[in-house]
Amino acid sequence: MNLIVLVLCATSFAGLGALLLAYLGARKRGGELEKSLAQALEQIAQDESALQKRKQLDTLKDEFISTVSHELRTPLTSIRGALGLLSAGVMGKVDDKALNLLRIASTNTDRLVRLINDILDLERMDTGSAPLHLRRCNLNEVVKQAADTMRSMAEDHDILIDIVPEAKTDAIAFDGDPDRMQQVLVNLLSNAIKFSPNGSTILVVSTLDGNNLLLRIEDTGRGVPADKLETIFDRFQQVEPSDSRQKGGTGLGLAICRSILVQHGGTIWAERNDAHDSTRAGMTFTLRLPRLIAASEVMPLPVAPQGAILVVDDDAGVRQVVAEQLRRHGYTVLETDRGEQAVQIAERQHVEAILLDLYMPGLPGWQTIELLKKNPATANIPVVILSVLSPAANTLDSTQLLSSAQGWVQKPFHESLLLAELGRVLHVGTGPGRILLVEDDEDLASVVLSSFEIERQQGHDEQQIGIHHVSNAADAKHFCLNGPPDILILDLTLPDGSGFELVNWLRQQPNLRTLPLVVYSGREVTGAEMEQLRLGPTQFLTKARVQPKDVEELVLAMMRHLRQPGLETRPAYPAITRP
Amino acid sequence: MPTRRILIIDDEDDIREVAALSLESVAGWQVSTASSGAEGMRLAAAELPDAILMDVMMPAMDGPTTFREMQKLPELASIPVILLTAKVQGVDQRRFAGLGVTAVLFKPFDPLTLAEQMSEALGWS
Repeated sequence: MNLIVLVLCATSFAGLGALLLAYLGARKRGGELEKSLAQALEQIAQDESALQKRKQLDTLKDEFISTVSHELRTPLTSIRGALGLLSAGVMGKVDDKALNLLRIASTNTDRLVRLINDILDLERMDTGSAPLHLRRCNLNEVVKQAADTMRSMAEDHDILIDIVPEAKTDAIAFDGDPDRMQQVLVNLLSNAIKFSPNGSTILVVSTLDGNNLLLRIEDTGRGVPADKLETIFDRFQQVEPSDSRQKGGTGLGLAICRSILVQHGGTIWAERNDAHDSTRAGMTFTLRLPRLIAASEVMPLPVAPQGAILVVDDDAGVRQVVAEQLRRHGYTVLETDRGEQAVQIAERQHVEAILLDLYMPGLPGWQTIELLKKNPATANIPVVILSVLSPAANTLDSTQLLSSAQGWVQKPFHESLLLAELGRVLHVGTGPGRILLVEDDEDLASVVLSSFEIERQQGHDEQQIGIHHVSNAADAKHFCLNGPPDILILDLTLPDGSGFELVNWLRQQPNLRTLPLVVYSGREVTGAEMEQLRLGPTQFLTKARVQPKDVEELVLAMMRHLRQPGLETRPAYPAITRP
Repeated sequence: MPTRRILIIDDEDDIREVAALSLESVAGWQVSTASSGAEGMRLAAAELPDAILMDVMMPAMDGPTTFREMQKLPELASIPVILLTAKVQGVDQRRFAGLGVTAVLFKPFDPLTLAEQMSEALGWS
């Protein structure tokens, strides 16, 4: 959909349409290139080369974005310049009708420039080529600067920006990219100004909330309908389609804001003011950022009498919720808010599994896991990442993380999902492995089965794997209900419904929703479909691209990895997570 | 503002023209233009302008190369150079800043304030 909008915008400028199509075409090719990583299965033993390939691809993308950016801006520079000079009357007097046309052309050029800037911004964040430049920041100062920037726009609309800073200024430091955070605030303030009635006040309130900083921006405008409070953060999702024309927005502002917050380990959400008080008009956008914790506030080292689950998260609220859920299910829980301490605890005490947040002050999660896996005393403890990031996000090197962690639960999470994932990492590795192949093509199924059979006859099967085959969704459900397999290999086209429906059903079963899955489909799976198909660790293979033998190798590698956390020094299988 | 003499170096005819018009009609400066780094260096040596506004991406000799070549010639080395670029990525910005040019301005520029931005960067205001 976005693509159509883009192309429509662009066709009004000669040449730009073609460029954008070229750009989008290359994006698509980029997607295929990534998928071709799946072909690199033979290189499981040479994962470094796969990693290198991925890096090369990212570099290519970066160069491409940089070039497109330049190629789009160059003609726009001439257009904007010429229109600007003409409409300012610098080149002589222009009559009113012509002036109006020039003004239209001029504002729309500005809109196109903003659109290009925003698209490139998002693209860079997606590819991870816009890293944060972290510095120690103070929330009150960032707010003040953003408000100063927006002051003149607010005055034009006769609107007052009223800042209510947190009184404990020392406590509201955070490690962030001040330019990026300013970008977020300027964006939110500009929205608030655009949609507020003249003469009104916009309230900006910063507060301390445990280990988080909260920033609320409250307006008294028309507000967003309750059913759109979440979708407004999607790309090109404005409340009224006419908003982009009338208010001059690009439809990408809030998507950019959310990306930036997520990069900072924070969140952003929107609420209607009448949800709390029916007499109040307008909207409140709230930002939550993890704050820095002073050394004196570090928690004392906890001690557990027997095997325990270690919860590592700097957010006391999250720790409390997780600990409570786990204790209710009979687990002993240890908590810490820092990575350094997590390593110490895991070294000295009997820790059965670790739930690890990624963004923490001090040692972040991705470095903590590295230390844990390097240390022989802790290398075998399964780690489940507990993060606002999805494993498909690219703000971090998720390839690296996916290969060292045994599980992943995305925040906000449902209790049963957390328990299922924890249960899975704790209980793998006992008894012979069970693999379920769901495939309606009998010939293909028998080839895959015999590929595992050969492996067994050759005596390579040190893992004692049993593979079972069913040819429709109903049998698959029946099999799973009788005991979850260790890995599910799934064809997408089945006689009694699609693989999508089966995955949907699996997602609703408490003990099956984090099942490791290999999607083995006849066609290329799109990025959006990948999200719909994700269960536990999920891999995608295309029949035309890989041989049944490759399927077997991937499945065995996944099995080894699931059963022997930390024993492998290199990633067990290439992570193909990105659409 | 006193009359200044500016040399614009850009391989894009249209941008040269718009930028020249902007500086001439908004600020009243005298502008000459060159369409390549080599031509720019010849003109700079002949006219010794007060400042040079130069594009980054040009065929044959790009902006940064032209700047480095000029730094080797004593008569050109003291002329302040402002780069005008459509590359806005942070990595590009840092690379340009490291060259030792007076300022880096970004395309698309606002024709009504281009002279003002240059004056500010050059300490002329």
